[in-house]
Amino acid sequence: MQSPLAQYLSDAANAGMTMAEAARALADAGWTTAHLAAAFGHSVVPMGSADVIEVADLVKRYATTTAVAGISFTVRRGEVFGILGPNGAGKTTTLEMIEGLRNPTSGSIHIDGLNVATQANAVKHRIGVQPQASTFFDGLTLRETLILFASFYDRTVDPDALLADVQLQEKATSKVNELSGGQKQRFSIAVGLVNEPVVLFLDEPTTGLDPQARRNLWDLVRQVNARGTTVVLTTHYMDEAEVLCDRIAVMDHGVIVALDTTANLLAAHGGDAIIEFTSDRQVDETLLAGLREVRSVRHEDGTHFVATAQPRHTLDDLFGAGRTQGFAIGSLTLKRPSLEDVFLNLTGHQLRE
Amino acid sequence: MNTFRTLVTSSALIFLRSKQALFFTLFMPLVIMVIFGMIGFDTPPTYDIGIVASAPQPGTAQFIAKLKELKVFKVHEGTLADERAALEEGDRTVVVAMPDDLIDGAAQAPRELVVYVNDGQPVQAQSTISMLNQYLDKTSLALAQAPTFFTLRQEKVASRDLKYIDFLLPGLIAMSVMQMSVFSVAFLFVQYKEKGVLRRLAATPMRPFQFVAANALTRLGVSVVQTSIFILVGVLLLNATVVGSYVLVALCVVLGALMFLGLGFTVSGIAKTVESVPALANLLVFPMLFLGGTFFPISSMPNWLQHVAKFLPLSFFSTALREVMTRDAGLSDIAGDLLGMLVWGALLIGAATLTFGFQERDSA
Repeated sequence: MQSPLAQYLSDAANAGMTMAEAARALADAGWTTAHLAAAFGHSVVPMGSADVIEVADLVKRYATTTAVAGISFTVRRGEVFGILGPNGAGKTTTLEMIEGLRNPTSGSIHIDGLNVATQANAVKHRIGVQPQASTFFDGLTLRETLILFASFYDRTVDPDALLADVQLQEKATSKVNELSGGQKQRFSIAVGLVNEPVVLFLDEPTTGLDPQARRNLWDLVRQVNARGTTVVLTTHYMDEAEVLCDRIAVMDHGVIVALDTTANLLAAHGGDAIIEFTSDRQVDETLLAGLREVRSVRHEDGTHFVATAQPRHTLDDLFGAGRTQGFAIGSLTLKRPSLEDVFLNLTGHQLRE
Repeated sequence: MNTFRTLVTSSALIFLRSKQALFFTLFMPLVIMVIFGMIGFDTPPTYDIGIVASAPQPGTAQFIAKLKELKVFKVHEGTLADERAALEEGDRTVVVAMPDDLIDGAAQAPRELVVYVNDGQPVQAQSTISMLNQYLDKTSLALAQAPTFFTLRQEKVASRDLKYIDFLLPGLIAMSVMQMSVFSVAFLFVQYKEKGVLRRLAATPMRPFQFVAANALTRLGVSVVQTSIFILVGVLLLNATVVGSYVLVALCVVLGALMFLGLGFTVSGIAKTVESVPALANLLVFPMLFLGGTFFPISSMPNWLQHVAKFLPLSFFSTALREVMTRDAGLSDIAGDLLGMLVWGALLIGAATLTFGFQERDSA
C-alpha cells in the first residue's frame, strides 16, 4: 500500500514519532478518520480515542512564584479524573490552563486532539466548565440562563429537561441568587452540560457544602459520567477523591507527586494497615510477629497494634492462633491506609494543615 | 446571530429587572426635573430694602406706598436700629433713612436720604440704589413740573419665550444619559468581573465583543426611551417647548450614549471591586454635572473656567442637544459639537479597549 498516507506513516515511524504525535500531525495535516477509513478499507477508531486530554510539560510562572512547575499527564476517555492536593498546590491554575482561561508559560495541552492554545474556540465547544465560584446573572431565571448559555454554542436546549437532570425543575423561574449552595453547584453543572461536552471540568465542586448536599453532588457527577462524559475535578477532600475518581493525580507545590488508581496509590504509598485488638490476656509478641504478612507489633495500654501488609492473611492467622493458643479477642478495629496517608508519605506533610 | 439576539434580550431583561438601574436612569432625573421645573427660576430676583421713617407726612407716605408697588422691591419698615441690625444680618440689601418730610418739605430745601449699603451684596446694592435714584429723579421732575422731553414707547414683538425648563430639559437629558451609560455599565461589569461571571463566559465560545456589543446596544435603546420620557414629561407636565428635529435629537443622544459607554467600560476596566466604582466614576462624572452646562449655562462661568468647561464631553453633548431643542439648529450648526463628541467617543472607547478585558492579564 504505497499511498501517500502509508509513506507518511513509515516516515513518521522512521523519525521516531510516537503514535500520539503521528496522529496529531495527521490531524494537523487535515486527515480525518474518514480519510483513514478510505485508505485502510475499513472503519477506523477516532484519533486520540483512548486519551481525551494530553498535557505535556505544563509550566505556569508568575513574576515571583511558580504555580505549576512542569507537569505531564493524560486523561482517559470516559473516566473521572481527580487532581488532589492542598490549597495552593496549583490545582486550579492547572485546570484553568486546560480550560483555556489562562495562558501557560510553556508546555502544551490537547483536548480531543485539538490544541488548546491554537484551536481555543473548537476546544470551548467540546468542554463544560464549573468554576470554583459559580455566579451567573442576577437578573435572569435558571431557565433564561440555560437558554442564553445554549445560544453561545448555537444550540437550542430543553432547559426543563436539563433542570430535571439536576433536580431543579421546580426552580425554573427562580433567580440564581435565590438558590442554596448545593443547588447553585448543581445548576452550575447543568449550565456546564448545555453543549453536551466531551469533558466536564469541576473546580472544587463540594467546597463549602453540607454533607447531604455533597452526597447529592457526588451522585450527580456519577450520573453525568455514566452517560459517557469524561469528568475532571479538583478537590482537597480525600473522601471525595476516593469515592468519585477512577484515577487521581496527587499534586503538591506545582508538581504531580503520584498518579494512579486509588487502589494502586494506596497499595504503593499508603503504608501498612493496622489491626488493633484487645484480648482477655496479653498475647505473646513473638507469636504475633510470626503471623503471615506482619510488619511490626506493639502493645500499649492493653491494646495490641499489629501492622500488616495484607490484613486478610494476618486476620485469618490471628483468629486461628486465638483458637489454638486459647485467647479470646475482645474488640477489633482494622485501620486501612487512606489517601491522607498516601499524601503524608509522598510529601511529608498533611493535606490540610 | 442567534447568540447575539439572545444576548440582547437577556441584557435588556437584566437592565429592566435591576431596581437600582431604573432608579438612577429614570426616577432620580425625573424628580430633579420636576423639582427644578416647579421652583421656576423664571421670576426675576427681588431686593429687600429697609425704610426708616418715624412719622412720615402724607407726601412721604405716598412715596413709600409707591415703592411698595414695585415688584423688584420687598419693602420692610422699622426703626433705624432694627433695620441696621437686619442689614448687618444680611437680610437687607440697603436700608434707607428717610426724612419725614421728604416730599412735603422738598419745595423749601433739598432733602437728604441716607442709604446704608450691605457690603456683602455690592452688585445688588448698586442696582437698588440706581433704581432708587431713577425713581427720585422722576419724582423731582414731577415736583418741578418740568416738561417731558423723552418718552420710551415699548412695543412687544412676538419672540420665543425661553423658559428655564426649556434650558434645563436638554441638559438634564444629556446628564441622565451620561449617568445611565457610565453607572449602569460600570456597576454591572465590575460585579461580573469580581464575581467571576466574565471568567465563566470566557470558557464558552461566545466572543467577548458580542457580549459587550449586546450590552451597549441595550443601553443605546434605553437612552432613546429615556429621552422620550423626559421630553414627554417636560412638555406635558412642565410646559416645556421643544423645537427642532427629533431625528437630530436622537442622533445627539445616541452619540452621547456611545461616548459615555466608552467611559463606563473604561471605569469597568480600571475598578477592581464594586466598592471602588462610585468613587472612581464620580471622580470623572461629578465635575461634569456642574461644569457640563446642565443646570446653568457655561457662558455664566468665569472666563478661565469656560475654557476648560466647554471641552468636557458632557458640554459638547448638552450644547448640541440644547441648540437643537431650543433653537431648531441644523446639522451644520452643531457640527462642531458633534465632532467634539466623536473625538471624545473615539478616545474613551479606545481607553476602554485598552483597560477592559474578560480575563485578567497575566503578568507572566
